[in-house]
Amino acid sequence: MIKNIIILTLNDLAISFKNKSIFLILFIPFFVYVSLMLVDEAGVDIQKTRIGLIQSEPYAPVILDAVQSADTLFTVLWVPNEEEGKKQLKEKKIDGLLLRPEKEKPGLVLVVLKKESVLSLFIVEGFSALQRAVEGHDMNWISDIQPLQEGGIQQQTLPTWVLMLALLVSFIIMPAQIAEEKEKKILLALLQTPMREIEWLTAKLFLGMILIFIAVLFLHLMGGFDVGNALAYFAFIGVGSFCFSSYGIFLGFLCRNQASARTLGVIFYLPHLLPSALSDFSQKLSTVAPFLPSYPFFESVKSILLDHTGITALFSAWIYLFFVGLLTFFMAYRLMKKRWLMQ
Amino acid sequence: MTLTNPVKVITVLSGKEKFMQIKLQQLTKTYKEKRGLLPMDLEVEEGELIALIGHNGAGKSTLLKLLAGWLIPDKGQVFVDGVNLKNRLAVVRKIGFVPETPNLFDFFTVGYNLRLFARLFQIPFQRIEEILKAFNLLAFRNNKVQVLSKGLKQRVSIGRTLLADPPVLLFDEPTSGIDFDMTKEIYRLLTEFHRAGKTIIFTSHRPEEIKTLATRIIVLHQGDMVFDGSPQTYFQSEIHEKLYQ
Repeated sequence: MIKNIIILTLNDLAISFKNKSIFLILFIPFFVYVSLMLVDEAGVDIQKTRIGLIQSEPYAPVILDAVQSADTLFTVLWVPNEEEGKKQLKEKKIDGLLLRPEKEKPGLVLVVLKKESVLSLFIVEGFSALQRAVEGHDMNWISDIQPLQEGGIQQQTLPTWVLMLALLVSFIIMPAQIAEEKEKKILLALLQTPMREIEWLTAKLFLGMILIFIAVLFLHLMGGFDVGNALAYFAFIGVGSFCFSSYGIFLGFLCRNQASARTLGVIFYLPHLLPSALSDFSQKLSTVAPFLPSYPFFESVKSILLDHTGITALFSAWIYLFFVGLLTFFMAYRLMKKRWLMQ
Repeated sequence: MTLTNPVKVITVLSGKEKFMQIKLQQLTKTYKEKRGLLPMDLEVEEGELIALIGHNGAGKSTLLKLLAGWLIPDKGQVFVDGVNLKNRLAVVRKIGFVPETPNLFDFFTVGYNLRLFARLFQIPFQRIEEILKAFNLLAFRNNKVQVLSKGLKQRVSIGRTLLADPPVLLFDEPTSGIDFDMTKEIYRLLTEFHRAGKTIIFTSHRPEEIKTLATRIIVLHQGDMVFDGSPQTYFQSEIHEKLYQ
């Protein structure tokens, strides 16, 4: 009995090598390791946040001197005006912006992207420590915190869930379905009909887009979330589902069977999801993430949902996603024409 | 088991003037790990019943898959009724291919599978009824394909191929993995299709079985055509002895 168990276990291991599932076991720890390397290490950059100060603003000299001299805590960046400062904050060029409050109130207003974030907490703690060192108390240098992105935690995490759904459909469901049709030779059977390759690909693309739309719609109906600028949101879910569905179809064409497609799907899913979703928490990740098509999608959806940004401000991201979708769709078409890994 | 007359579901072509229906010019396919098919020239007349024989890896399936458009040749060309095979949309109604393993949507019913392909071929659903009746599949029309036996699946697969009534039929190991009775039935079907004027090419690695069936035998060996002639000539030749005895 034990011998048979060993034989079967070895056989199962051999199968997992053969269908490449074992690569997941190797890939996931590797990916976690790389992500951890990219996440800002404690004691280095995370403790040095970029504070924006407005050039024309008459800050109290004691605060100004303290902030400028605390170069292990803060990097001071001067911005010409409040509008430019907020723009740089949205673009993550600075982590916080200091303003003088209206009506001659004491202290300063800290403008941050999100109130409930590690970065905001760190800036406030940094100022408290600084004030304690200079004045011996820590009450009133920062009198108010103003977030640029409104909404509670649920609304603020919504872009991450939307990204997760889009990537789940595109990288997990679509490649496996395409690989199944290839593996069972059903696609070849369909190609013996007057159906054109482009028709089959377009049908698959629509399937991916419909699934993503249904998933996002369901999420909104369940949670009753605000869609922000509806036209811009619809346009981005549309172009995002086009981009990632095409990408998923292309991945499906790189695989001979379903098992390989699942493995490849996960290998693409995690690196597209995590750096974008975690970019708010790490300066290093926020420099890596823009190289992935998931990032402009995530950032745009976030801007629409949290800042109510319009489509014109996000036009370049829309074009980029459309181009990536078009490119991967074309590559899938070429592979289909070549009958790639269909035998 | 005898099927209801399947000839009723195909257009009878006999009586027409015969012409060269399939023409292969230097058709070549090589794989990384094996030879595939060496450059091959071949002409097939309308109404021929050709048995492609040879051992495993001889290139039989490769040749059929090239004719069916499943594989893209490295070199060479194929013409069907004068139309280049590269023009897929123009030849899909001319060639029907029945693969060794039926490639049906397993999780759907027999009826659904036939309806889907009828829609794609833009064929009226009346044709499906004819096919179901001719292949004794009426009782199974609402059964999911995954619960059918290999023999039944093969019948659905042949039925699906005949939906568009193509003049050329290709069968890859049509009797592989099916029982003796069904094997006889498949061979009877091939004969009936042939009598109706269809051009048929099928593969087999058991030449004794097709002794009385084929009108022409082509033997492939390691990707090369080593014999092309009548069954009588083949069974008297050295090739048969060398390869199979």
